[in-house]
Amino acid sequence: MTITTQSRPQRWDQPFGSEMTDADVERLLGVPEIQAIEADKFPSRISLAGILRNDARIMSYKAGDIVIREGDYGNSAFLVLNGSLRVVLAPGLPGEMLGRRKIQKKNFWQALKQLWTQKTSPEFRDIQRYDHKSGLRESAVPGSSHVFLQDVPAVLDSNKTAVLEGGALFGELAALGRTPRTSTIFAETDSELLEIRWQGLRELRKYDQGWRRLIDQRYRQNALKAHLGATSIFSHLDDDDLQEVADNTLFETYGTFDWHLSYKKLQEQDRIDGVKDEPEIAQQGAYPDGILMVRAGFARVSVERGNGRQTITYLGAGEFYGADEIYRAWKGELEVGLKVTISALGYVEVLRVPSKTIEKHLFAYWESDRQGGTRDGKIEPGKRSGRIHDFFDQTLAEGALQEWAVQERFVNGTQAMLINLDKCVRCDDCVRACASTHDGNPRFVRHGKTFQNWMVANACMHCADPVCMIGCPTGAIHRSLSGGMVIINDDTCIGCETCANSCPYSNIRMVSINDENGQHILDPQNHKPIVKATKCDLCADQITGPACAFACPHDALKRVDFRDVTWTGDVGGQ
Amino acid sequence: MKRVWGYIAIAILFFVLIWVWTLQVDNSLNYPEFISGGALFFVIFILCMFNVRKRLPFLPLWPAHKWFLLHSVAGFLALFLFWLHADVLWPKGLYVQILTILFYGTTLSGILGLIMEKIYPNLLTRVGLECIYERIPRDLAEIRNKAESLVLECTEKTGSDTLAQHYIETLGWFFQRPRFFINNIFGGQNAQTWVMQQCSVLERFLNEAERGYLDQVYVLAETKRKIDFHYSIQTMLKKWLLVHVPLAAAVMTMVIWHLIVIQVFFN
Repeated sequence: MTITTQSRPQRWDQPFGSEMTDADVERLLGVPEIQAIEADKFPSRISLAGILRNDARIMSYKAGDIVIREGDYGNSAFLVLNGSLRVVLAPGLPGEMLGRRKIQKKNFWQALKQLWTQKTSPEFRDIQRYDHKSGLRESAVPGSSHVFLQDVPAVLDSNKTAVLEGGALFGELAALGRTPRTSTIFAETDSELLEIRWQGLRELRKYDQGWRRLIDQRYRQNALKAHLGATSIFSHLDDDDLQEVADNTLFETYGTFDWHLSYKKLQEQDRIDGVKDEPEIAQQGAYPDGILMVRAGFARVSVERGNGRQTITYLGAGEFYGADEIYRAWKGELEVGLKVTISALGYVEVLRVPSKTIEKHLFAYWESDRQGGTRDGKIEPGKRSGRIHDFFDQTLAEGALQEWAVQERFVNGTQAMLINLDKCVRCDDCVRACASTHDGNPRFVRHGKTFQNWMVANACMHCADPVCMIGCPTGAIHRSLSGGMVIINDDTCIGCETCANSCPYSNIRMVSINDENGQHILDPQNHKPIVKATKCDLCADQITGPACAFACPHDALKRVDFRDVTWTGDVGGQ
Repeated sequence: MKRVWGYIAIAILFFVLIWVWTLQVDNSLNYPEFISGGALFFVIFILCMFNVRKRLPFLPLWPAHKWFLLHSVAGFLALFLFWLHADVLWPKGLYVQILTILFYGTTLSGILGLIMEKIYPNLLTRVGLECIYERIPRDLAEIRNKAESLVLECTEKTGSDTLAQHYIETLGWFFQRPRFFINNIFGGQNAQTWVMQQCSVLERFLNEAERGYLDQVYVLAETKRKIDFHYSIQTMLKKWLLVHVPLAAAVMTMVIWHLIVIQVFFN
């Protein structure tokens, strides 16, 4: 019998930039910011040189090229090697200049006009419009095209900007925290940057004190205080108190950043890991040492039941847990333990605010007259437990669907297409309505995973954690600032398939675009069809809202945020 | 449910108003048929508009599910208005009798459709498998190929053709195309019974290895049975409209001609 062998896959089998050479690494080791790193602190299997070689790449930008765009999701940080860049300060550049799609709702007559202006061939594109609007600088390397600003002096005249020069590091907070980029940065002169992917950045932060201090300090200064101030439990604090809470807060990350890749693989094998395989953030019964606040990602909330664990709900960004237990301990109750286990669903970033800080800045406020509370400690349990409180008493049957949604990671969706199969007559009016509003080709498939009488169809869910947006080279896929939906700008999409490959739910489809006669538009160089990424855009430009839900004659189809769904009765939603 | 009763209440109120009005007009020795006929035409027009609305999903013309409720309730209202207008169940005169047949046909097909749309989705969900109607032929072909491959493999590996013979004589018929259509649309279990019987009748003639193949064929047959069920039910859910809509179009055409004729002769 022949035995098939393969060398064990290694972490750096697929380097970030395939063009990095030993000479490049040598050169980088001479850059002052990298020279300052204590290379001997790194373990031999994750050497500094190895990180530079495999987790970083040197990128060249021409004057006017946009390096990062406000609102983009990225998984890398940048170190300026040479050249000069500009950060556009608030209010920032208009969306169209960044390669965004301008959404304008059609009025009644424009909507009616679709009846006779729609082409009979699906996915028709007038290619003239790509020449005029895109602002794309093509690159020889596939998937590395850049959007560029066509008139840099005008941008400098009309916007407030700050200069970034050699040695400046940027983009690290968004990369590590999986949050949108907060500003746009473009090359003022031809520039060379070192792009470090998040895995390398994580190691640099872990093994080098200098980088750790720099990143943590920037996080506390720039992001943490603002984040805490925006939460419901700390919104009452003034600047000094917020600073104190921020100084005492610990930040932790659990799970894998690229959870969508492993999730997809497991899904193909039809074996999604259960709660037992997830990294534990807090264990049921453990002594509460602080409030846990989810900053990014999702955490599963489960309780022991018989021989297993029942998922009762999940925590999303901005939600917290632990206040009730700490409060009871503070009030003198003995042997207070956490009522639930919290584990990471994919990737989750957690803030842990210590008990002492909570007692000083939260409980004192809750019990003060300002809140209308009483001094004998009768704060409502619902207020102390947050949203979780509503789920403690649910039966297994009531919670089964929620558990399934958590297991399948559908909780990531803010506009999931949920179909009640007991009402759906499979008439496909929803599909036809979608096709009539989207170039004659529906943007979803009325098929998907089912649980009891519920189906989550293969339509973009406009995720809270949109992994599809990570790595789009032109920023064509982006979150609309007006409606929060994830949309694709067809003008700047280069058909690289990064988004389609990243979507864990397979809800983005690549389609060949056609001319007026229904013939594929071909690339003159290789005669292959030009493809574009397409997905549900929630009918952003239609006055009706999502045409699928509007067209369903049996009210069976709804667009829902899983957070708002109550499974005991009918679902809410659009 | 509350919404349905709201529509029904409005429909009853509308009917009572028209009825009282026709009585008054009749008492004053005028033509009550003009009142009931006008109301009936208005309701039929609203009913036809549902199909137009379906073709204009991009216009803010009220959500489709509200139209559907309106359409269902207005359909019954039209029937009562028709009886008020004709004053009999079966009017005299060839033209009006053809119109009546078409109208009754539309109403009956509508009621049947409504019943099917209320009962069938639940039956489909209970099957525990979902399939897209257009993909059913491909799915069935895939299952048939798998079943035939299994049977061939069984013959090759075990050297016995008992399963293959039974497949050619009996099981092949089932895998060929969708079966038990009529039984399925009445929610019957004949297909399940048949598959079970045909597999169990063979079992005692097989050895251990062959039984393993038969089990796999049985699993495929079960999947095929479920897809057949979807095919039957989804065919009914889609095809009843091919009766209802043309009948409705014919009614509308004849009603317009009827109006023209009445107008001409009355003048």
